[in-house]
Amino acid sequence: MIKDAKNLNTNLKRLAEITEWFDDQEEIDVEQGLEKVKEAVSLIKMSKERLKEIENEFEEIKKEIEPKDE
Amino acid sequence: MESLENKIFSVSEFIYLLNIGLKSSKAKIIGEITEMKVSSLGHVYFTLKDEKDGAVLSCIIWKSRYNLYGIKLETGMKIMASGYPEIYAPLGKLSFIAETIEPAGEGELKKQYDELKKRLSEEGLFVDERKRSVPKYSQKIGVITSKHGAVLADFLNNIGRFGFKIKMIDSRVEGQEAVGDLLASLKTFKKQDIDVLVIIRGGGSLESLMPFNNETIIREVVNFPVPVIAGVGHHKDEPLITFAADVSVSTPTAAANYLNQSWEEALLLLERYERNILGRYEDIFENYKMIENKLRVSLQIFQSSLSGVKIALGDYLIKTFSGFKLLLSAANEKLAQSEKIALLNNPERQLKLGYSIAMVGSKVIRNTKDIEIGEDFDLKVSDGKIISKVKQKI
Repeated sequence: MIKDAKNLNTNLKRLAEITEWFDDQEEIDVEQGLEKVKEAVSLIKMSKERLKEIENEFEEIKKEIEPKDE
Repeated sequence: MESLENKIFSVSEFIYLLNIGLKSSKAKIIGEITEMKVSSLGHVYFTLKDEKDGAVLSCIIWKSRYNLYGIKLETGMKIMASGYPEIYAPLGKLSFIAETIEPAGEGELKKQYDELKKRLSEEGLFVDERKRSVPKYSQKIGVITSKHGAVLADFLNNIGRFGFKIKMIDSRVEGQEAVGDLLASLKTFKKQDIDVLVIIRGGGSLESLMPFNNETIIREVVNFPVPVIAGVGHHKDEPLITFAADVSVSTPTAAANYLNQSWEEALLLLERYERNILGRYEDIFENYKMIENKLRVSLQIFQSSLSGVKIALGDYLIKTFSGFKLLLSAANEKLAQSEKIALLNNPERQLKLGYSIAMVGSKVIRNTKDIEIGEDFDLKVSDGKIISKVKQKI
């Protein structure tokens, strides 16, 4: 598990806020926009890694439950 | 061997010899009691009279025997005594030594039976509250019966195979002679480790069942340390032991069935429990299958939500990038627009078109009053400035 990886659900909420920020943007603030992009990319990267971990763990559990299905 | 005819005996020796012979002359004698007295030691001396010709016989019953049978002798009572004759040496008198006594005739027997039943009943020996229940799943069984006859076989043929440990004491069960045997058997079993005592015999007349109406035996049964089952035949006047016993059944087979009962019930219960357990297990299995199926569905749902998250992450990336691109292009557009406006408003552009700007120092001359006649000013053109002088203001 990644040290800084936040809870996947929290990450998704934050990403939703960032995209909403872009949608609601009326005044052009490119500097702040760039910060948001950096944050979003970092969150997405961490989330994908966490998601991969969850998927792997899930596959292992599934194998234990349904050994014959594999 | 010397002939008895030629031998000379002392009186005592001869009486002794006679008594040896007389002791083997056992007999049962029936008669009416005409005289009776109880000695200070408790032995009973009585005379039996023949009802036909009035012949009489002196009789003795020793205290221990008299008390054993629980019959109160009275003059005028018709009894049957069993025993043997004996000469009492000090008096040279022949007496009949009674080993057993019992009332003779149904009428007398019935009277004795009714009296004893009433007395013991009043004493509370037959009340249900006093009766103990036979422990369920009794295993150690004491049996008192005669090994002769069909009774024991009936009992053993009907007792179930439940691991019973049966101890049996052979006892006479008929007539007054049985009283001693029964008492000895009861006393023996008293000291043994048994769960329940069974006393059985076949049916019979009131007379033959007399031992089971014996007060001493009845009291032994009442005070016996473990519950007693009596299976002592059928008679319209039930033997008193059936009232005294904790459980009374009519036949040896019924006694065996009674002991089987709790074990048979346990077997039925076990079968029922087995069925229940199997049924429950099947239910559990069904429930497990149901839960397993639900779990499979949940797993699929979870897997879908994982895919959903993956898609959402991709969407967020696209949205963020496109949002930022839009922001950049908006910024670019705004910059271009500003540049255009700035360009349009650039004074130098006007100069190239042939316009010029008149300035006094750094101040632009917008009106005639901004400069005086004769004052110098700079005329700024596209490639430099022309220094001029005001000649006239119009």
